Amino acid sequence: MNGSFDVIVIGAGHAGCEAAYAAARLGARVGLCTLTTDTVAHMPCNPAVGGTAKGHLVREIDALGGLMGRAIDATGIQFKLLNRSRGPAVWSPRAQADKKIYGRFVKAALDAEPNVEWLIGRAGRVLVDHHRVVGLAMEDGDAYESRALVVTTGTFLNGLIHIGAEQHPAGRADEPPSRELAASLKSFGFEWGRLKTGTPPRLDRESIDFDRQVAEGRFAVERGDDPPVPFSFLSPPIERAQIDCYLLHTNDRVRDLVRANIARSPLFNGQIHGIGPRYCPSLEDKIVRFPDKERHQIFLEPEGLEAREIYVNGFSMSLPRDVQADLIHALPGLESAVLLRPGYAVEYDFIQPTELTRRLESKRVAGLFLAGQINGTSGYEEAAAQGIVAGINAAHFGGSGSGFELRRDEAYIGILVDDLITKGCLEPYRMFTSRAEYRLLLRVDNADLRLTPRGRAAGLVDDERWDLFKAREGRYERNVRALDETLVRSSSGDRVAASHLLRQPEVRLTRLVADGQLPRFESDPATASVDVASVETTVKYAGYLKRQEREIERLGKEERRRIPLDFPFGRVPGLSKEVVQRLTQVRPDTLGHALRIPGITPAAIAVLSAYVGRNLEERQ
Amino acid sequence: MGFSTADTIVAIATPPGRGGIGVVRLSGPEAPTITRGLTTHETAFEPRHATLTTIRLKPDTTPAFDGTSTIDHAVVTFFPAPHSYTGEDVVELSAHGSPVVLRAIVSAALASGARLAEPGEFTLRAFLNGRIDLMQAEAVADLIDAVTPLQARTAFDQLQGTLTEVIAGIDAALFDLIARLEASVDFPDEGYHFVEPRAIADAVAALRDRTASLLADARRGRLLREGLLLAIVGKPNVGKSSLFNALIGAARAIVTDVPGTTRDLVTEAIDLGGLRVTLVDTAGFHETTDHVEAEGVVRAKRAQEVADLTVVLLDRSRSFDDDDRNIISQTADAHRLIVVNKVDLPAAWTACDVVPDAVPISAATGEGLDTLRARMMTALDVESLDDRPEITNVRHIALVERAHDGLTRALEATRIGGGSLTEEFVLADLQDARAALEEITGHRATDDLLAHIFSRFCVGK
Repeated sequence: MNGSFDVIVIGAGHAGCEAAYAAARLGARVGLCTLTTDTVAHMPCNPAVGGTAKGHLVREIDALGGLMGRAIDATGIQFKLLNRSRGPAVWSPRAQADKKIYGRFVKAALDAEPNVEWLIGRAGRVLVDHHRVVGLAMEDGDAYESRALVVTTGTFLNGLIHIGAEQHPAGRADEPPSRELAASLKSFGFEWGRLKTGTPPRLDRESIDFDRQVAEGRFAVERGDDPPVPFSFLSPPIERAQIDCYLLHTNDRVRDLVRANIARSPLFNGQIHGIGPRYCPSLEDKIVRFPDKERHQIFLEPEGLEAREIYVNGFSMSLPRDVQADLIHALPGLESAVLLRPGYAVEYDFIQPTELTRRLESKRVAGLFLAGQINGTSGYEEAAAQGIVAGINAAHFGGSGSGFELRRDEAYIGILVDDLITKGCLEPYRMFTSRAEYRLLLRVDNADLRLTPRGRAAGLVDDERWDLFKAREGRYERNVRALDETLVRSSSGDRVAASHLLRQPEVRLTRLVADGQLPRFESDPATASVDVASVETTVKYAGYLKRQEREIERLGKEERRRIPLDFPFGRVPGLSKEVVQRLTQVRPDTLGHALRIPGITPAAIAVLSAYVGRNLEERQ
Repeated sequence: MGFSTADTIVAIATPPGRGGIGVVRLSGPEAPTITRGLTTHETAFEPRHATLTTIRLKPDTTPAFDGTSTIDHAVVTFFPAPHSYTGEDVVELSAHGSPVVLRAIVSAALASGARLAEPGEFTLRAFLNGRIDLMQAEAVADLIDAVTPLQARTAFDQLQGTLTEVIAGIDAALFDLIARLEASVDFPDEGYHFVEPRAIADAVAALRDRTASLLADARRGRLLREGLLLAIVGKPNVGKSSLFNALIGAARAIVTDVPGTTRDLVTEAIDLGGLRVTLVDTAGFHETTDHVEAEGVVRAKRAQEVADLTVVLLDRSRSFDDDDRNIISQTADAHRLIVVNKVDLPAAWTACDVVPDAVPISAATGEGLDTLRARMMTALDVESLDDRPEITNVRHIALVERAHDGLTRALEATRIGGGSLTEEFVLADLQDARAALEEITGHRATDDLLAHIFSRFCVGK
């Protein structure tokens, strides 16, 4: 053995970095294994963080004490709060990152953790003894002892890149895939699947005259918010200058070119078998599947303040290089743009996440945790969210703690994990707000109120964040009280409680505060938007929130009935074979969880509920 | 949604429709307590003994029986756990077989904390509690399989054709609207509207109209099966019993010319255009000091209050007096027909001056009776009862009501303060409505919602 750790994390992408950071902060000695430290927290596709529901995930990661929110706030170059025209429940921050600086920021944060040691090299074999992790062997022959292992290899397991007929094995552009590790993981008998994702071509910024194209009406300028809304509850106001992005549209020529060359697309000629995400269709998909749609939006997004590369958002494809060049040149305003890199599709293996527990630990091998794209998800945010869960649990592994688990009704992260371990993946999994049963309760403005105490209990929230949180929570509670206790003048001249007035649709809290009607209202300039949004929502939409809370309470009985880990489903009389098989595979931890498994009926749950907690032998 | 096995369930145990005796069965820990709350019985029921008692429904739990506190005699049998059908405390309430009475008992039990049993749930509990041995496990396994969403759909498809179409139509339109609104929230930057904001209120209103008409049809459907109540009122001796007899075609009620002969309510069912109509002959409405007769008047008023149609009978051969005026003003809010009797005798007043819409008849000669029947059919809307989809199942009606409530709240959300709340709030209520409908049609998952969006719209970058 060449060394010993408490936790080894394989892969330094968004899942791996978040896992390593969390485990290290909890006091575990962490080995972070990566091929190179040049691509730490790399963004191989869209250089952006957040978006609808994804922004929620980032806020939650931050509220728990994770890295991602602070990293994007420090390195974002354009910030937008999506769904601003709607209510606070669906506001979602999104930001373009300077992808180089983002990676450097995260690497520096990990370097600053004395418990993190970099293991540069290619991971080979998971060392196991009696179904428990004991360490990791590298491909070069080195080996390290460890009681827990977090595997976050992204698209690297048997990755295969397609650009037209060209195919080469790779995890992502120019980086070799993991074969030995893939074989090692397969030897444990996990259920596998194959997925596909893709990325658009990159253009040379110098070859595009943005000002002229805007002046001549071919591009529309997309600006960031002023002032930007930060992701992290810790971030000071962001005063950095923001870059512009540009919107243009596809035209008939693009459509005709795709149609003429469709047989050369690996997606449509049978070369690719993996299943791609429907919510992120390739250009080929857009043209073929939606023939009636005349034009599609394309965004030109710089990959950094100084970066040469322009990301062509909405133009992901796997057509041959020559066709890609023709397609770019067919776009209005890009007639002479220079391609730096072609777009491509990548196929990769993933492990069906039904193999995992709510702590993201595999059920077959104790101490083996999986997070990120290896579990069938897509997106940096989804990866990071799993990373923090796996990291906390890997650090706790073998200790006396009860493990870190989040429920569907308290966090999008809880929904993410629950969906994965319950249903598995048929396509790359992306978070949407429509996946949340209690969307109005799971907001970005209250992510800290929901989760910072959970992060504190898990050991990840340090004193600095905790003190800020306690101050903010105190402000929130005093503000809600002040609204009930302060009389203000209504439009009809009566004096009514401010909370009462605020329930009228046209009355806004910022207005009341600005008018000096609420002298007791407290707000920290750094978190003003959060202070206002959480108080306003709590008061204004109290009826809606109460109804959702009652629903949680109503269904809570089943959610709280725990099923023991070793419960013998096969011995419950009256369950069909298929039901027993599904239950044994997923091994639900509560009755509520069992009910969400596809194919499990309410009646089967009723039968189960009668036997859970009873001694099955007794009845034989 | 899973169902618990720890609560108390209730259901009508006898087949639907009218029978001599109908049985309501409760099973679970609260069964005896709930039953005592529904009856006049003061002490605990003796196990495994038939106890004769009276069903007493409190108006607050059964609004339909507002003002009628005692509805029927019943025989209550209590089977304590574990020696009962389900192995739990079971109570069986045998009442007269009117669906109205049985449904009222079930409603009252629900209001007292019982839950409507799922199909097969009594049997399931019997199995769970070891009352059915494993020989029968096969049958129970079938039952378990029968509640998959797919089978719920199959069961749903086996409902009457027109009804399936109507509910599935509402469900599909609601599903599509929800998908569009969800897409608006999850894909705010697509550069177009999945549904025009101004069109949302109209779409919700249209859906709500459909649940409203389904519920109205459900009421009509009930009328079709159970019939309507038609009360004949009027001051003494205007010929109520004669009209009653003329309509049923037999001399059933006692007919004399001594005012106040009919003290009890006399009822008889007739067929009116294919619809079962129960005629109620009432005591005359008038001031009286005779307490037996006064009781008859009280009953008459009560019958008139619950009747689907009231026939107010006047006598043209005697003068139009204060008793007549009182009856006309007392029934002003009721669904009524004014009928002027004894047109074969010399007129004491001119009907068309006082009650222009009145139907002139002579119960004695039969003159005008055909016209009266036609007017009754029109008033009861008998024609419209044909070929309408009807919901027969109490559980389904409750679910459609829940969907309707959700749509009503969603509609309010789209019309708040002249503007609309944004999609996520409208969606909260629409999702409630959808959950209710899909308990009838079989559930669809979130993934299906996303699939619907992705198949119809090119979203995502």
